[in-house]
Amino acid sequence: MNQLPLALRWPRRQRFEHFHAGENAAAVAAVQRTVEGGDAPWVFLAGPAGSGKTHLLAAACQAASEAGKRVQYLPLRALRGPAEQAIRGSGGCDLLALDDVDALAGEREAEHALFDLYNRCRAEGATLLFAGSEPPAQLGLTLPDLRSRLGMCTLAMLRPLSEAERRDVLRTRAQARGIELDDAVLDWLFAHHARDLGALSELLDEIDRASLAAKRRVTVPFVRNLLRGGA
Amino acid sequence: MSDLWRRCLERLEGELDAEDLNTWLLPLQAREDEGALRLFAPNAYTLDVVRSDYLERIRAVLEHLNGGAVNVHVSVGSAGAPRAEKPASAPVVNGNASAPATPSHNLDPHYTFETFVEGKSNQLGKAAAMQVAQNPGRAYNPLLLYGGTGLGKTHLMHAAGNLMCQQKPGTKVLYLRSEQFVSAMIEALRAKNMDAFKRRFRSVDALLIDDIQFFAGKDTTQEEFFHTFNALFEGKQQIILTCDRYPKEVDKLEPRLKSRLGWGLSVAIEPPDFETRAAILLSKAHEKGVDVPEDVAMLLARRIRSNVRDLEGALNTLAARANFFGRAISADFAQETLRDLLSTHAQAVTVPNIQKTVADYYQVRLSDLLSKRRVRSLARPRQLAMTLAKELTEHSLPEIGEAFGGRDHTTVLHACRTIRTLMDKDVRLKQDWDQLIRILTG
Repeated sequence: MNQLPLALRWPRRQRFEHFHAGENAAAVAAVQRTVEGGDAPWVFLAGPAGSGKTHLLAAACQAASEAGKRVQYLPLRALRGPAEQAIRGSGGCDLLALDDVDALAGEREAEHALFDLYNRCRAEGATLLFAGSEPPAQLGLTLPDLRSRLGMCTLAMLRPLSEAERRDVLRTRAQARGIELDDAVLDWLFAHHARDLGALSELLDEIDRASLAAKRRVTVPFVRNLLRGGA
Repeated sequence: MSDLWRRCLERLEGELDAEDLNTWLLPLQAREDEGALRLFAPNAYTLDVVRSDYLERIRAVLEHLNGGAVNVHVSVGSAGAPRAEKPASAPVVNGNASAPATPSHNLDPHYTFETFVEGKSNQLGKAAAMQVAQNPGRAYNPLLLYGGTGLGKTHLMHAAGNLMCQQKPGTKVLYLRSEQFVSAMIEALRAKNMDAFKRRFRSVDALLIDDIQFFAGKDTTQEEFFHTFNALFEGKQQIILTCDRYPKEVDKLEPRLKSRLGWGLSVAIEPPDFETRAAILLSKAHEKGVDVPEDVAMLLARRIRSNVRDLEGALNTLAARANFFGRAISADFAQETLRDLLSTHAQAVTVPNIQKTVADYYQVRLSDLLSKRRVRSLARPRQLAMTLAKELTEHSLPEIGEAFGGRDHTTVLHACRTIRTLMDKDVRLKQDWDQLIRILTG
């Protein structure tokens, strides 16, 4: 792998304009308003894996950062060290995007720390954005004080795109890099790999780099060979 | 941004996981100072991670880009202002010599008695808070407001503080969340500064502390709060506290503290009833400049019973979508857009769920509850369960009758009327009802 060309990756591509909104346009607009507006309510994004939660949070961070605000994206599933301590040590930003709120459900001390962070950010005039697989009431949070505060957010439900839409998006993204993905390759990818766009886009990165390095057209045998570890 | 840092980030972008980059490195701010690069982390947690996981690599990349070693410092702070970051959780304090312009309180001006929607569930609390505000230190001391989350305790507390300041400008009111009290104390202990801590809390005219249930199990905090409480009480300075339940029911709260909390007046704030929920919703909509017709307010009030925050969340969600689609908020629009949100509240409440909850509550067997037996010990819970089913679900009377062992719809209707009438007279039954609603919709 080490002879593959280095790519400039996310966050460059995870911007609002690269988000394929489909049915989720209202959710995108709600996030954008919160990023722009002073007193728009905070937003809770709810949707299954692959529905675009992380993309939207990253896009929000970028937009706010470009507007001169201090931002941080914090995936609660991947905290370093004990969650409670990590959350208690967080803050100090104008915009804080908290991904994977599910990860804290049932961890009483961590939930309490998030409850405190919520209050602290509110008092300091900072903005919080949240994302989780389900709406706050269904996450299985044990601290009612936290659940009710998250319940006050604007709830933006994200639906995963249909397979047809995902194919279109993937094809367009590939075209933007000068790769032609024909139906056979798309069929193969959808049959053999995770179907959410995040995973598929990462796969596309890999295919792109490999085809560049090998100077080969993207065909089913090429992709199969690459992804089965035979490159 | 420092050019050197920008180039360093570009290099790291290629080698680090994108998510890590976004989480740990993009929030850093940089400033070049006489050959040194100063990096500022927004908080202590980021600082720790950057130091332990990335600093070495950053140094190496910078050295490579710069063609020689670069002196790198990382600290918590901001590149724009070289001053030290203020401790995040320390409360704003009055009479702070370094900030003479701060007002004599740190209250939220939006929380007033005028913006508080009164109903049966909270009118005692409101009356008590007003009396305390009009006669601080003398009417009821302490005033303790207790009840579930999101029912308006904090609103009343701030409203009392705001009214005190309005009636007597210059009144020193200090509002804190309980954890701010805890961290202020820990900080004072660490800095060996307890005298200043004591002075600060004992020099106010009114001390307002929110959610004191979180003092549970924190013995040193309780000890210190106990002394603060005594000093304020003796000085006839007002104390207002909130708690999520009657303090005697809070575990790991010292008995002597519990007993003092009972010296003044404790008032329960109950979940708002249907009319109050609708009125709250209309009032919030008005505040936000959102046009919500009465039938929509009633629709939401009927479906969302848990607390005021959930109502506000529903309103926010509705307003955001109406705004995006350029549509007026009609009952149809509300039904359609809030399907997801409402279903999260409605989901837990099904007829079988109600039956099981009621059976558990009264410790009767589910099969007995659904049987034809008519002994009082079964009939009353059964009637209550039917009424709850009518109240909490969208099922018709015949459907509910069917679900209760194939009874006629007139039986259900009779049950609903009986329970309604009894609740006005029978306090015990009313308590059971409220408790069951809380269990089913909480």
